[in-house]
Amino acid sequence: MKLSSFRKKSPWILHYNAGGCNGCDIEILACLAPKYDIERFGMINTGNPKQSDILLVTGPVTKRSRERLVEIYAQMPEPKVVVSCGVCACTGGVFRGMYNCEGGIDQYIPVDVYVCGCGTRPEQIIDGVIQALAILEKKTKELEQSVRLKKEPVKEDTQLNRRNIAGEIIKTA
Amino acid sequence: MGKQYEIPLGAQHISLLEPLHFKFTTENEKIVDTTANIFYVHRGIEQACCSKFKFRQVSFVVGRVCGLCSISHSTAYSQVAEKLVKIEIPRRAKYLRMLVIELDRIHSHLLCLSHVAENSGFEALFMKTMQYREFSMELLEAVCGNRIQYDFSIVGGVARDLKPAVGQMILERLKKFKPQLDELVDIYENNWTLSLKNKGAGAITKEDAMRLNVVGPFARAAGLAIDVRNETEDLLPWKEVGFEMVLDTAGDVHARNMVRLHELYVSMRIIENIIARLPESALITETKAFPDGEAVVRIEAPRGELFYYAKGNKTQVLERLKIKAPTFSNVSAMVEAFKGNEYGSVPAIIASYDPCLSCTSR
Ligand code: SF4
Repeated sequence: MKLSSFRKKSPWILHYNAGGCNGCDIEILACLAPKYDIERFGMINTGNPKQSDILLVTGPVTKRSRERLVEIYAQMPEPKVVVSCGVCACTGGVFRGMYNCEGGIDQYIPVDVYVCGCGTRPEQIIDGVIQALAILEKKTKELEQSVRLKKEPVKEDTQLNRRNIAGEIIKTA
Repeated sequence: MGKQYEIPLGAQHISLLEPLHFKFTTENEKIVDTTANIFYVHRGIEQACCSKFKFRQVSFVVGRVCGLCSISHSTAYSQVAEKLVKIEIPRRAKYLRMLVIELDRIHSHLLCLSHVAENSGFEALFMKTMQYREFSMELLEAVCGNRIQYDFSIVGGVARDLKPAVGQMILERLKKFKPQLDELVDIYENNWTLSLKNKGAGAITKEDAMRLNVVGPFARAAGLAIDVRNETEDLLPWKEVGFEMVLDTAGDVHARNMVRLHELYVSMRIIENIIARLPESALITETKAFPDGEAVVRIEAPRGELFYYAKGNKTQVLERLKIKAPTFSNVSAMVEAFKGNEYGSVPAIIASYDPCLSCTSR
């Protein structure tokens, strides 16, 4: 099996609070717990940006946490998907316009799925993450396509065929 | 003296729910010094409450200070505003506020306990505690209409009534929860592996706790009898509904677990009493007055004493609002209690403080 199929079956989640009120964070925690149990989709919560595929962000971006947010995003390997949880991560919500807040995380990093609600319900978070999975798959495909440098697909095999050569060597020997 | 190393922890870390940064100076795994950096989530709520929002809207805004104890914040603000506009709220509203505060305390304490278990490396207990916690979220949803961010206390009273069917449901669920809580107490108290991680870790003496002005379960685990529910009677009648103080002496992580677990019994008793004795009256006192003068309110949030100060000037918008959250009082003691511990037990100790940074930095 290829790496991509593993990624589809077990996306790992990274969670960062960019200044929210904790409400959405405890709902993410509740998603990991037995009642909602997102581990049945193979997801686990990692603390390491280098190992994760989906970034769950809560909170309006405060001026101090935005550096960390961008840094964490930059450290995640491609392909990656960002899910913004809660209305204050989507638009700033009730914190919009406060002097130390930015209105939503999409001013700093590209967001793929917006999950609304203050606070979001676990069902909504699960739904958002499932949508993120589809986007992850799409992004993976795009990424793998670009590896072929957008050439015309190769019709016939012009490369050296080692087996044939080996056969000829054996024949002549 | 051995070689000293500096180890940073945070701002993003698997064992932290919120951005919090500690810098530990360690010497052979032993922590000799710590500095804490807590203001990552400062949003400027106080300033916005005094400029952008009218005083009736502020009770919804301060609920967003913290998602775990949002009811404590909105209740404390409502009380302070009621003092400013000089009204007395109906008795039924007082009882309903206490009901939701205690339900909130159950969910918050269970969350903290599960977090301690997870950070001590006991994943199964984390799952178990979270599973048992889910009932309190369902009850809160039944009472207030939302799992978190209840928006239940408003200036003048409460926003929703308690239907008799919901009261019955609460009693039934609590009856079901009691044996589960007994089971949890047994595990947290007697499990040998957990005790290796928790007993003696992060200990603080009673004198230190007094000197560093600790509040909440952190103080009560060290033997310091501080609880606002024991001290104020005028706004919410706690003693009437059977409040009792829970104390421990050791002051370590294990003692904090025990204090939290035994407080759950008290909370359950309070809830049962409230539902049994719920007085009949209106839900809200209407008034057209504008806030005037100064007032101070203290309330016992799940993490300790929450303090609100407000000043009005006869307009719709407050002149000043000041929030002092329990974790803010505890930070100096948190830094102190790390000293002399192994670096490996740091996650469990942090979780046992139950820090709430979004309260602290607002
Ligand atoms: S959306 Fe609401 S509940 Fe969620 S973090 Fe923001 S303020 Fe808190």
